Amino acid sequence: MIRIENLEKVYKTEEVETTALNGINLHVKEGEFVSIMGPSGCGKSTLLNVMGLLDKPESGSYKFIDTELLTLNDRERSNFRKRNMGFVFQNFNLIDELTVFENIELPLIYNKIPTAERKKLVNEIIERMNIVNRSGHFPQQLSGGQQQRVAVARALVTKPKLVLADEPTGNLDSSHGNEVMELLCELNETGTTIVMVTHSSHDASFSNRIINLKDGHVISEKINKSRNEELI
Amino acid sequence: MFRLNLKIALRNLWRNRGITAINVGGLAIALAAFILVTMYFTYETSFDKSNPNYKNVYVVGVSYPEFKTNYIAAPFAKAIKQTYPEVESVGLIKEGSFELTIKNGKNTLFTKNILAVDYNAAKILNIQPENGLTKPSGEVERLNYLSKESMQTLFPDKKDNKPEMVGYGASNSGITVVVAGSIRSNEHSNFVFDGISLAAELGEHDNYDMNDYSIFLKLKPNVNVANLEKKITDLYRYELLKNNTSKKSTAELKAISTFLDPLSNLHLRPKAGNDMPYKTLIALSVLGFLILVIACINFTNLSIAQAANRAKEVGVKKVMGAYRSQLTLQFLTEIFIQCFVATILALILAELVLPYFNNLFQVGLSIWQVDSDLIWQLPLILSLITLIAGIYPAMVLSGFKPALVLKGNFSTSKQNSWLRNGLLVFQFCIAVVFIIGLLIINSQLKYMRSQDVGFNSSQVVYIKNLTLFNNPVKFGSVSFNPVRDRLLKIPGIKSATVASFIPGGQNGINSYEVNASKANIDFVNVDFDYFETLDIKLKEGRFFLNTFKTDTINSAIINESAVAKYSIKNPVGQTIRGCGIDYKIVGVIKDFKTQGFESIVQPTIYTIKDPCGSYKTQILLKIEENKMADALAALKAQWPQINPKDGEDFRYEFLDELYGKLFKKQEQLQSVFFAAALLTIFIAILGLFAFAKYITNGRIKEIAVRKILGASDVQIFKLINSSFFIMVLIANVISWPIAYILTKKWLETFAYRIDLPAMPFVSSALITILLTVITVSIQAKKAVKANPVDALKYE
Repeated sequence: MIRIENLEKVYKTEEVETTALNGINLHVKEGEFVSIMGPSGCGKSTLLNVMGLLDKPESGSYKFIDTELLTLNDRERSNFRKRNMGFVFQNFNLIDELTVFENIELPLIYNKIPTAERKKLVNEIIERMNIVNRSGHFPQQLSGGQQQRVAVARALVTKPKLVLADEPTGNLDSSHGNEVMELLCELNETGTTIVMVTHSSHDASFSNRIINLKDGHVISEKINKSRNEELI
Repeated sequence: MFRLNLKIALRNLWRNRGITAINVGGLAIALAAFILVTMYFTYETSFDKSNPNYKNVYVVGVSYPEFKTNYIAAPFAKAIKQTYPEVESVGLIKEGSFELTIKNGKNTLFTKNILAVDYNAAKILNIQPENGLTKPSGEVERLNYLSKESMQTLFPDKKDNKPEMVGYGASNSGITVVVAGSIRSNEHSNFVFDGISLAAELGEHDNYDMNDYSIFLKLKPNVNVANLEKKITDLYRYELLKNNTSKKSTAELKAISTFLDPLSNLHLRPKAGNDMPYKTLIALSVLGFLILVIACINFTNLSIAQAANRAKEVGVKKVMGAYRSQLTLQFLTEIFIQCFVATILALILAELVLPYFNNLFQVGLSIWQVDSDLIWQLPLILSLITLIAGIYPAMVLSGFKPALVLKGNFSTSKQNSWLRNGLLVFQFCIAVVFIIGLLIINSQLKYMRSQDVGFNSSQVVYIKNLTLFNNPVKFGSVSFNPVRDRLLKIPGIKSATVASFIPGGQNGINSYEVNASKANIDFVNVDFDYFETLDIKLKEGRFFLNTFKTDTINSAIINESAVAKYSIKNPVGQTIRGCGIDYKIVGVIKDFKTQGFESIVQPTIYTIKDPCGSYKTQILLKIEENKMADALAALKAQWPQINPKDGEDFRYEFLDELYGKLFKKQEQLQSVFFAAALLTIFIAILGLFAFAKYITNGRIKEIAVRKILGASDVQIFKLINSSFFIMVLIANVISWPIAYILTKKWLETFAYRIDLPAMPFVSSALITILLTVITVSIQAKKAVKANPVDALKYE
């Protein structure tokens, strides 16, 4: 589904140039769950941002199914993103002024879904995520794990083809973290493609394939046998 | 989407309700000021605009070498009409020269200004009696109309608009006049009157020496005014030459020209006058706008300061596919809602302040008028402030890069803080300029009040009077001596005199000659005891004295300025020639400020006899302070015997109050500056208060770490205050030269003024710095007193 070729990204400040991505090639199949690992500063977040169309690389090619995404303008990128992608962040990034229901509803509004259908979709996902009794609460009134469930719900409500997760368990304790990982696995099993950046090899063990980055290069790729076997 | 955005906005505002209140409140106050100024501006610039001829009406003025005037001879009106076809019609008006008493039985009316107009002028100037404008014809020489209010005073029970009989002057005068009806005097016009005396024609028997009228022209559309102006000048010179009554030489004629002044100029910047009212109005408008800008800056500043809080929201929304334009619109809408609320509050505030404002500026403005220009001005103002206050924050907020802000360690960039600091400095600059301005205006006014004006107006009573006391007797005038004798018999009256002009009013101007040098100088026709009553100082020679027979024939007293003007050495005993009389100078008085502090003391001649002079009607009495009440009561009781012409209508004013009116404009300015300085500093401090709160909130972690590392409270206060302290200091330094130039310019409008003092500059710095430190410290206190562990645990 995703074909990334020779991706290069350089951060420039007045004094230094930092090469964040240095000729990355990456293919992701539909329905795959890919983890990206590597030390701090290896470029994994940058790669995720580029994949999410939040950042523009200097050169290379990024094909999603058959569409070349790097030549799109801002408005087209926004449109593509809201139709095809969902995001989960380390620090949840829920809007504090909106309730759980309203937070989840937000992407549907930007996708111009009519009110009645919005309501139905949000209620469905709230039920699925097991947060029905929380739907009128504000983010600050929830625990970290609950907040991340809401964030996952928000990423999924538009039924995206691709979910991008940036250290989704980074701010959670291990039991809440596991809950979230299980949630992502369930999601993956229903056919959603997931790309996740993580520090934790425990989290990575939930995925089909683990890609290791260092200094902007892919240094190794590992098929996660246990998980694949499970699948089979 | 709008619903959710609204929720976000409202919940955000509620969470920061303290700051929101400061922000909206500050804006509302500034807007109220701006609304008042806008209303005042509209009012002042639209005098006579209701006149359908507004754009085509001009007054014909005359420009002499020494001065310009709108007073001109009546026959010239006819000459213009007959010569130039582009002039559609020509009208004449003449202001009432003295106060008139009108009576109906017990009801008495004192009119200040009965305007004499001819039929054409009434048409040109849109002067419409209630029962329609009719041309006096046949037996009826004049049609007299009184203003509605005047009619009400004379005939309280009158319902119809039928003519009525009234008495003119004292009840024993026996003069009766028919009032043809009532007329509405438009206060929003250059022609305000108590009544109108309408004639078919005016000034038919006048000649070119009698410059008593104003000529108004209604031009046909698209007339070249500059061209016509030139042609009228030529005509005027020609007519003066043809009717050579005052025997002017060709050179003198060449120096005289005429000008056309449009009706729209008359109120604020007449060519025959000064444009101070116009300048004041512009200054006031700039002031109102600046106050509004300061309040908008608060908005911008706080919105940007709050940006960090909203960054996550922007990032999330962008990730979900929001366009930048959608976000820009969202933030603009938010600010618009706040501005809208501020506008409503401002209207309420303006309504509350309006009575004081009307009183200060002597106007009758009202907000709730259907035809008010505010109806279209307000939405315009609202859009304007939304744009000023909102466009920059909206651009900044909507421009956040999601990849950066969603990482969670976002801080507003350095560039923003430069801008924020710049805006804060700008606010304080304006506040400092106003404070300095206020302090300097105060000093000048204090100087004017304490400075010796050269005469003493206290305990001097000025009596309004219709009898002419000219000497020699002319136009049925009588001698003042018997009146003075009777007056002096009243206990408490120390001296009594009569003159043609009183200090505080305009003097007459005439041509006088000393040693073959000719000049137009001020003249005042006086009687004995004039200088004594006003306590004017003698420099050399003597005052007028009863014992000198020549004093009522050809003695003159001049002031120091006149001596300088003619450069006379040893003036006493010399001759000054005017109006066909060789006056002998018997005394020189020290200059005294009859015109207040703005204009320089004019060269002036004082004479008892003056065939070319003005009517001596202004009675001045010096009364002992502790017998004032008794003396006034006695005067009122005896007035019908003392002065039969005025009869029972004894009216007086205190001279010091009259003279004090010359200071009114400055006192007005002082009030305005006081309000402006207070407002700007208040709004700037409000902004600072909220801003400091944000800054300290943002630094809570830093402060906690510093405290744990051993910083004392004082050190932390210093740390937080230092940047604000520097900014206010910079603001002071920037505004000093600006304030210096502006106040210097203002002081230069005074002939008698203080030297620019340094103290206001120092004071303004102290005031602003003190206020800043207090404001910031109140905010800093919370951060300092907080337990550092709580601040750090939060991470």
